[in-house]
Amino acid sequence: MSSPERKLRLTDIINVNIWDVDSKPHIIVNYEKCKNCPTKACVRLCPTGCYTETENGILFSYEGCVECGTCRVVCPMEAITWTYPKSGKGIFYRFS
Amino acid sequence: MGLDIILLFKYVPNTTTVNVDPNTGTLIREGVPSVVNPHDLVAAEFALKLKEKYGGKIMAMIMAPPSATKGIEYLVGMGIDEGILLTDRVYGGADTLATSYVLSQAIKKVVSHYDLIVAGQETLDSSTAHIGAQVSSWLGIPYVYYVTEAEIQDGHMIVTRQLETYIEKYKVKLPALISVLMHSLQPRDVTLKNKIKAVKEKPIKVYTNNELQLNPLCTGLKGSPTIVAKTEFIGKIPRKMQIMQGKPPEEMVSWLISKLKEEKVI
Amino acid sequence: MEEMNILDQKFDVAVVGAGPAGLAAAYYLAKKGFKTVVLERGREIGSKSIYGGRIYAAPLKEIYPNFNSMPVHRWVKKERISIMPDYESMISIDYQGKDAISFTAYLTEVVKWMGIQAETAGATIITDVPVTNFYRENNKVAGVVSGEDVLRSDVVVDAEGVNRLVLEASGIVKPLKPELVALGVKEVLKGDSKQIEDAFGLSQDEGLAWVFLGAATANVPGGAFLYTNRDSVSLGVVVLLDKAIVNLKDHISQLVESLRTAPALKNYLKNLRISEYSAHLIPEDVWSLRPERLVYDGLLITGDAAGLLLNAGYTYRGVDFAAYSGYLAGKAIESAHAQGDYGAGALSSYEKMLKDSIVIKELNRFRKVHEIMKNNLLFEKYPKIMSGVMKRMFENSDGPSKAWDAINESCKENQYSMLKLLINGYKIVRAL
Repeated sequence: MSSPERKLRLTDIINVNIWDVDSKPHIIVNYEKCKNCPTKACVRLCPTGCYTETENGILFSYEGCVECGTCRVVCPMEAITWTYPKSGKGIFYRFS
Repeated sequence: MGLDIILLFKYVPNTTTVNVDPNTGTLIREGVPSVVNPHDLVAAEFALKLKEKYGGKIMAMIMAPPSATKGIEYLVGMGIDEGILLTDRVYGGADTLATSYVLSQAIKKVVSHYDLIVAGQETLDSSTAHIGAQVSSWLGIPYVYYVTEAEIQDGHMIVTRQLETYIEKYKVKLPALISVLMHSLQPRDVTLKNKIKAVKEKPIKVYTNNELQLNPLCTGLKGSPTIVAKTEFIGKIPRKMQIMQGKPPEEMVSWLISKLKEEKVI
Repeated sequence: MEEMNILDQKFDVAVVGAGPAGLAAAYYLAKKGFKTVVLERGREIGSKSIYGGRIYAAPLKEIYPNFNSMPVHRWVKKERISIMPDYESMISIDYQGKDAISFTAYLTEVVKWMGIQAETAGATIITDVPVTNFYRENNKVAGVVSGEDVLRSDVVVDAEGVNRLVLEASGIVKPLKPELVALGVKEVLKGDSKQIEDAFGLSQDEGLAWVFLGAATANVPGGAFLYTNRDSVSLGVVVLLDKAIVNLKDHISQLVESLRTAPALKNYLKNLRISEYSAHLIPEDVWSLRPERLVYDGLLITGDAAGLLLNAGYTYRGVDFAAYSGYLAGKAIESAHAQGDYGAGALSSYEKMLKDSIVIKELNRFRKVHEIMKNNLLFEKYPKIMSGVMKRMFENSDGPSKAWDAINESCKENQYSMLKLLINGYKIVRAL
């Protein structure tokens, strides 16, 4: 076992979680609105890093979403249409 | 007159997300919940569309431990009418041959009438794609796989099959077995109405070998000639994301091709 | 308007959400003979449940006569509060009690247990189905909507949690604002039980609850926590969302990782492996978050959705309060049923019972904490001053300074008035 004192990358951390990923996204982001966002708080505060900042603006992927609701609350642009996944899809917690 | 459809499915550990321990690099298996095999959900959607068009009834069938009842409930939640669970200790440890034997014998013994058997292309956990072929052989009925469409014409079924470079159409006599091309349809969601039916009415029949009376030498571990010598986790391929944007398409395409060549993908 | 499909079945009570609040309500009502249904969006009960890591037992013992079979991991007998001026050092206060009043557990397991109690009592639990709105008849809540399906019931218990999509859709509350909530992010780190006991100096079944202030949140107002489970540790960070938007520079996950890899915690977390990563919003300004009323015609609001969570500054207390509010909602429905009326008036005994219960009493007692938590000084300046004090007292090569001199010098160094420090310190102690 390697040293636990090493900081892990977020992609490696979320790899331990179980999801039943839906084939359609439960969150829709209006990227046009993101262009004028003064905070881009979703990038730092989405716990699983679903929002990334690229040269051409915000990029969102729903697959790693843990359905906490943070992005919806911190978004100052009302750019996010947020619902829960249907049919029991999405994150499946076991030890929390 | 509608179609009586049997949906064959499997309840599998959900490995759609590959879970790897970041410290040891090994696969995580502890506490991984089971789901209806995603490719069978596509088959369920296929069957539901046929039912919407022609009427009839869909029965989901599985050979599995009793925990698979949850899988039947999920399918009933989608709109499948009822389920049959074939469960017995003597069915445990089965390979595809012993599994298809039990499924086909059960179809003969406990299903009074069927027009069509629908299955997913393969399973998430073993990907053999054997069951459809084997069940149809045991039953002596036509089998078409990679199916994307089916319709009834003059008492026959016209089945469309999609291959990499062809689309084929077959005219088959019913009853027949088809396996549905994976990812060809988006499975519908569970509805409140159907899920309440699943939980309150429990339209699930359970058969053990007491009822089916199959030769235990042909079922389970004893009826399974396959020996899995070893499985090895090949590790996760690290993703190397690079973004190229805002250039003319020609330039971006040639950039992509050069990168793929660099990685020896093409 | 989509076409609605009204189902034939009708229930006495429909509960939105199979969390602690909803399941406690369902258990009580089913036991009293009400035809009760719980609608849960997750695949299984507990698959969407996450919290910090510690539950207070007394309210649950009152609700459940068979509390003994609760899947408890460890009874908290050790409490520790540490102030971290940086990741290398900390100043800690330890408390070791005799009688444990709280325990650690996985909420996923606890609600599964609560689900079994409710089902055994006769409740119906439907998973995989998110509720999208309330169904109304004559302006009264008379059931729930999921997609196109309507399930009617005499009364509805809203236990949907902090993200109040149903209450929002029905116009009862507005969308959450950052100043109302905190964000909790947690890692569960697994080992075996002996490893946990050795690392934290615990005996079997004995648990530790540990709170960190200061560097653990990169000086953003909030706190960090560590709870010992049977064979794992829950390690997490909580930050006030409005403050984090402005002050947090790194990605939020880095706070937990920095804490996990902090030299100060090195000896405790050796050879544990991460087995789950989770996050949740926490009601922070509970009084502003709370809906105008907790009862409407045909509707009661419980748990996090009602803001019934105690924020004690150094710790949150939500699971047992949520369960207790669900239990009281059940009692209120029982008494309204006896009056033959599910109007807001008849259901208002819920609000009265809450007011007289431990839930609102504790919420009132800690009312000031939220204001203090908003104070950046507590998270930035004070840890530095305290660290300066300690350094002067313990790392002075000329021998230890007098405590008073050390405080005085450290205040000067951090350009802060000692009088202010004392006044604020007094305020904090009073609020806690």
